Amino acid sequence: MASAAVSAEDDLRLVVFRLADELYGLNIVNVESIGVLAPITRVPGTPSYISGIINLRGRVTPVVDLRRRLGLAEAPYTDETRIIVVEHEDEQIGLLVDAVSEVRTTAATEIEPPSALIADVGTQYIAGVVKAAGGLVIVLELAQVLRREARDRVKRERVS
Amino acid sequence: MSLNLNASPEDLKVFLEEAEELLQAVEEDLIRLEKGDQAEADGLINEIFRAAHTLKGSSATIGHQRMAELTHAMENVLDLLRKDELELTSQIIDVLLECLDLLRVMKDDIARDEDSGANHGPLLERLKEIAADAGRSLPGAPALAASGSAGQAAPAGAAAGLSEPERARLSEALARGERVRTVRIAFSDDCPMPAVRAFQAVVALEQFGEVIASLPSLDEIEREQVQGTVEITFIGPAPDEEVTSALAAIGDVTGVSLRAVTDAELAPAGTSAAATAQAGPQTAGNAAGEAVAGNDAGRAGGARGPGDGGAKATPSRSLASHTVRVDVRLLDNLMNLVGELVIDRTRLAQIIAQFEAKVGASDLTQELSRTSVHIGRVSADLQEEIMKARMLPVENLFKKFPRMVRDLALKAGKEIDFTMIGQETELDRSMIEEIGDPLMHLLRNAVDHGIEAPAERAAAAKPRSGRVTLSAAHEESHIIITVRDDGKGIDPEKIKAAAVRKGLINADAARRLSDREAINLIFAPGFSTAERVSEVSGRGVGMDVVRTNIERLSGSIEIETAVGVGTTFRLKLPLTLAIIKALLVNVGANIYCLPLSSVTETLHTHSSEVSTVKTREVIVNRGQVLPLVRLRRLFGEPEAERQEYIYIVVVLFDGEQVGLVVDSLIGEQEVVIKSLTKYIGDVPGLSGATILGDGRVGLIVDVPSLVQTATAAAAN
Repeated sequence: MASAAVSAEDDLRLVVFRLADELYGLNIVNVESIGVLAPITRVPGTPSYISGIINLRGRVTPVVDLRRRLGLAEAPYTDETRIIVVEHEDEQIGLLVDAVSEVRTTAATEIEPPSALIADVGTQYIAGVVKAAGGLVIVLELAQVLRREARDRVKRERVS
Repeated sequence: MSLNLNASPEDLKVFLEEAEELLQAVEEDLIRLEKGDQAEADGLINEIFRAAHTLKGSSATIGHQRMAELTHAMENVLDLLRKDELELTSQIIDVLLECLDLLRVMKDDIARDEDSGANHGPLLERLKEIAADAGRSLPGAPALAASGSAGQAAPAGAAAGLSEPERARLSEALARGERVRTVRIAFSDDCPMPAVRAFQAVVALEQFGEVIASLPSLDEIEREQVQGTVEITFIGPAPDEEVTSALAAIGDVTGVSLRAVTDAELAPAGTSAAATAQAGPQTAGNAAGEAVAGNDAGRAGGARGPGDGGAKATPSRSLASHTVRVDVRLLDNLMNLVGELVIDRTRLAQIIAQFEAKVGASDLTQELSRTSVHIGRVSADLQEEIMKARMLPVENLFKKFPRMVRDLALKAGKEIDFTMIGQETELDRSMIEEIGDPLMHLLRNAVDHGIEAPAERAAAAKPRSGRVTLSAAHEESHIIITVRDDGKGIDPEKIKAAAVRKGLINADAARRLSDREAINLIFAPGFSTAERVSEVSGRGVGMDVVRTNIERLSGSIEIETAVGVGTTFRLKLPLTLAIIKALLVNVGANIYCLPLSSVTETLHTHSSEVSTVKTREVIVNRGQVLPLVRLRRLFGEPEAERQEYIYIVVVLFDGEQVGLVVDSLIGEQEVVIKSLTKYIGDVPGLSGATILGDGRVGLIVDVPSLVQTATAAAAN
């Protein structure tokens, strides 16, 4: 990308949300919208971290339970539970989070590489860490979080 | 490696779309040409020539040198063909088809912005050899004469080289007070393709006005007779600087100079009337050709002037003014939005009912519900119109088959006369995508197994060349597609023998089969009649997969066959995949939709009627044993509490009935099928999802895969 060199200098805007008492962030450019919990239809035969599919403005949209995906303890949904809709490979995907707190602007240079201190979440999912007034914000690597391992899928036989 | 083309992404997109259209048109024309209809031949060669010419212009404009060179060489050969200086042979068609394949590779490279290193050298050589042959076989009287006259008529200065009509045009323009100028463009000495550059200059100048003449002439530029400079005379008001900078932007241009053409220069020269008469139409023909090239050079849309009439490189062009290209995703989005509208309408109706219950009926509530009903009607119409917009003629799919059949026939050593009927029949684009593979397979079968070798046909007193027909037609809300051949037909006895040999059935069972049942064995998994494995068939994909795919689309397939007479496969398919009638059922927390095309009946049965045979639950329905599948168990829902009565939906696939045990029945409804999304991918037992009236998402059951899974489990 041509803008890579420039963006290092640029400010980064993060959508900050809560998961199991930790703060996490996603680059706002990946975020399409934030919505309240909608009825989720569980799809049989899919990994447990895929909560199911919802009707997002007439579009069938998969929803990923971020707690499960990141291997965190499960918790019941509350009034604060939100679905963050992100854009991934030309599709919209919803991410279930405990609560959305704010949009925070930070200098890209303030992002530090993930340290071994954050043991709760696999480092492959983490792009970096930002220190802020409210505590650490763990910035997620969206592509990794949404990567589906090949064995997840079942291929169908087709005429070739 | 990237291609480093000299064009914006927008231009490239236009180029790619157009290139595909042109290549497709050329391919179709070549195949028709090969069939050898002499009456058509001249017209076809001309069309191919124009398409190659247009492609040369636009590939030069985006700066794809190799593509420009290849199309240019093709154009040379085609030019010789259309002037009857070269005789059309099957070798020439083969070479042209190979060129086409290579152009496709190049086009795909452009689409991916990658250079796969497609090498056009060998083809250029072969095209040159072909062109050279023309010179040898017909010792070039017409060609020589043409260049000779051009030589005579070209003294220094463009104005002096003008034909009489051209002078007249220019004089008139000057009299009207328009600007007439001659621009002289010099190319660098090492410019590899001055002709292409000269051509680009002509295209560029057409933006500023009307190109009247050039030296060398447009015809000579076509024939690559360009040295270091070209002079072009045009009418147009653009400022000198603008013209100069546009021309200077063309590659390999080293100098541009403009001068005004005066009346004095245009004084009639003593050219003979005969020469004028010759030059006139020729120039007009060229202008038509150039107008198309200019049109195609990047600015989509409006047809340009009188040139358009003479230049229908593709049939679709004539429709250009009535149609627009729309991204399919846009239509999908529209469909989604209408879906929302329908759901909101349902909600609105519910709210009105509640409102009425609360405040009592009044004029206002009546007005409200009338409006709501109207919104409902409008959204239904809107939905229908969008569905129509998604319909495409099957031609979009069929057009690739003539080439495929030709190549297959060649490989198999068969002679085949391939016809297509009803290409204008419309079908939802989702369906068109899905039926391509099954049809290709059926055509392969017809060529490989259906049609006999020419000698065999001759021995059976049939014409040497076999006939394969692909046809499409509407029948109520279905489309019927048939693949018919007049080959050897399917012999039920041979099928029985093969099925026994392959261990699909035992000899005893085979004897009891009717002919129809025997023939239907070709759809059995693991059955293939191929005596020998060829490149064409016998690739491990059998008719069973064809049938499974057709039935997955809620369609059906039938065979009619007679030994020695031929075979017909008849496919019956719904017009759209996007909407199906379904039976909605509750299973656990989810609502599942069962396509009505595979539901035969529903039963409400006392649970004591369920018995167990070898760990499998069955009931006896109308004297037949019906295996049961509990959808809760299959879809991983918690087991339901034991109930006195159970609901069973009987579904049929491949002659097998299976009873699906569900929690309760909701009712029949038309549902719009949506994909489960790329992220979720394929899920066994499901074919998609849909948005229900209350806004929830329902899951659509894939009955064939479900029945197969269930019967496979039963077999083990």
